[in-house]
Amino acid sequence: MSRPESTSTPAIELDGLTVNLGGRPILIDLCASLEGRSIGLLGPNGAGKTTLLRTLLRFFPATSGTARVLGLSLASEGKELRAQVGYMPENDSFVAGMTAVHFVRLMAELSGLPPEPALERAHETLFYVGLGEARYRKLGTFSTGMKQMVKLAQALVHGPRVLMLDEPTNGLDPPARKRMLDLVTDIRDRGETHILISSHLLRDVEAVCDEVLILKDGRIAASCNLEAERRANLSFVEVELQSPDQRFADELSGLGCELATHDGGRLKLVLPEGRTVRDLYAIADRLGVGIRHLDLKRDSLQDIFLRAMEGHDGGL
Amino acid sequence: MAVYERTWRRYLGELTPLRWRWLVVTRYALADAFSSRLFTAFYAVCFLPSVVGIFFIYLSHNVSLLQQLGMPPDLMNILTDKFFMLLFSWQALPAFLVAVIVSPSLIAADLSNNALPLYLSRPIDRHEYVLGKTAVLAILLSPMTWVMGLSIFVLQAYFEGGDWGFENYRIGMAYLVGHVAWIVVISMLTLAISAWVRFKPAARGALFAIIFILAGFAQAVNAVTRTSFGDLIHLVRAINSVVMSLFGAPTPSGLPVSLNWFTLAAATALSVWLINRKLRPHEVVR
Repeated sequence: MSRPESTSTPAIELDGLTVNLGGRPILIDLCASLEGRSIGLLGPNGAGKTTLLRTLLRFFPATSGTARVLGLSLASEGKELRAQVGYMPENDSFVAGMTAVHFVRLMAELSGLPPEPALERAHETLFYVGLGEARYRKLGTFSTGMKQMVKLAQALVHGPRVLMLDEPTNGLDPPARKRMLDLVTDIRDRGETHILISSHLLRDVEAVCDEVLILKDGRIAASCNLEAERRANLSFVEVELQSPDQRFADELSGLGCELATHDGGRLKLVLPEGRTVRDLYAIADRLGVGIRHLDLKRDSLQDIFLRAMEGHDGGL
Repeated sequence: MAVYERTWRRYLGELTPLRWRWLVVTRYALADAFSSRLFTAFYAVCFLPSVVGIFFIYLSHNVSLLQQLGMPPDLMNILTDKFFMLLFSWQALPAFLVAVIVSPSLIAADLSNNALPLYLSRPIDRHEYVLGKTAVLAILLSPMTWVMGLSIFVLQAYFEGGDWGFENYRIGMAYLVGHVAWIVVISMLTLAISAWVRFKPAARGALFAIIFILAGFAQAVNAVTRTSFGDLIHLVRAINSVVMSLFGAPTPSGLPVSLNWFTLAAATALSVWLINRKLRPHEVVR
């Protein structure tokens, strides 16, 4: 049943995916190939994030186009696809009257684990998400934060290759939110599972994702590799000197920096590969030049998101 | 249990066959039903009519005991048809009650807690989910109805010897077909109610209401129109007529048996349609 993952197979491929619900287009001609370990689905409310997740689980039929998850076709390999996926829905979802361990075991068995390994892994997963001591409690008595964690546990228990998390930090207080993001980061760093996170919280996505897909009004507004953006932004520096000094600019040019000087001793430069900000400080120290302000200009996810929103009709 | 690992890793072991995965739904629902001691006790009591039937067959073939009790030695020959028809209804009634007790929580509990997306995000589809839930009722109701019924029929044929079994094959057929038809109709009907009515007492009330209000309405239609067309919506009369016809006895309905079958089929089809309408892996927002 499991298929060996080719290194070249994208986690998610969208090929002209269009979904109409109630006669209204919700997702329109989505085309993307997402290869990141941790992919963020961003967009304002109603952009189609949850619909995209549910379509990838075959909860909604594609009106036209298709999609692949780990190379498995949405149209013809639905069950095989769902066997590889762990899904954490946005809303409260549990089976009434069950203890946490009973519930997670049921979900593991539905994913194909035999009863004994399912029970073993249910215990392990509940410990992993921090519910070890509460695993024999009925789900109905859980707090919102605990319910979020048990939803994560049921999505993880069978060891999916793709983990789909719909607003995982919803309703969590700051410590619980940090714990959730730490867990997601830990799963990502193990390198065995692709994570697809739908959220409208930019900070959460920025904290754990290396690739983002921004949706707006059912269309892709932007798609970018955050890691590449971060790497590119790291080499862009703004410097303001206490007083203009041509020697400093000449030394930077000698380092191989692309440079632009402005009035008042302000410089904008791109560091060449292998050079760091530390080199700038070393030159300033050697020349006796005072640096009033130095800014590593970083294009934050917020900038990317706002640009994506401005690039299309309508506001946030 | 002892937990040795408190971390998470991929599962790389054996998986259960995909085609039987729906049985997990059944197994957990059965375990949930039998977690109540009261229900377990009631379920055991539901076998009482069959136990009494077995005792009666033993009694009817124990000539010395019959003589001591002052009963005719050919008691069973006199009572065969009545005995089996009576036993059928005394088996069907507890089965109905078991369905009424168990079914309201089968689907409603999952819907009211939004658990359906969790089931259906796994390699199991809506049809398998319904199959798993239906199997709960089939597994619970079968032993007390057609399994016991056929066992009693075989026991009687064994004690009677000769060609009794072949000559009375209609009785065995009636038990098998009649009870299975009853189980299918009642299972689908109760599951449909469970899908639409989430409050358990209300769901139980709805089932009784559907059966008895429809029966009353059917009687009224029959009385007003002076025909038997009201029987088209009279589920109890329909199943009674079908069973009676299987036993080769006169039917209580004024309609042909084929129309009684149609009533049962229509009720089942309507129930399936209602279940299909309601079971979605997401809330339908209108």
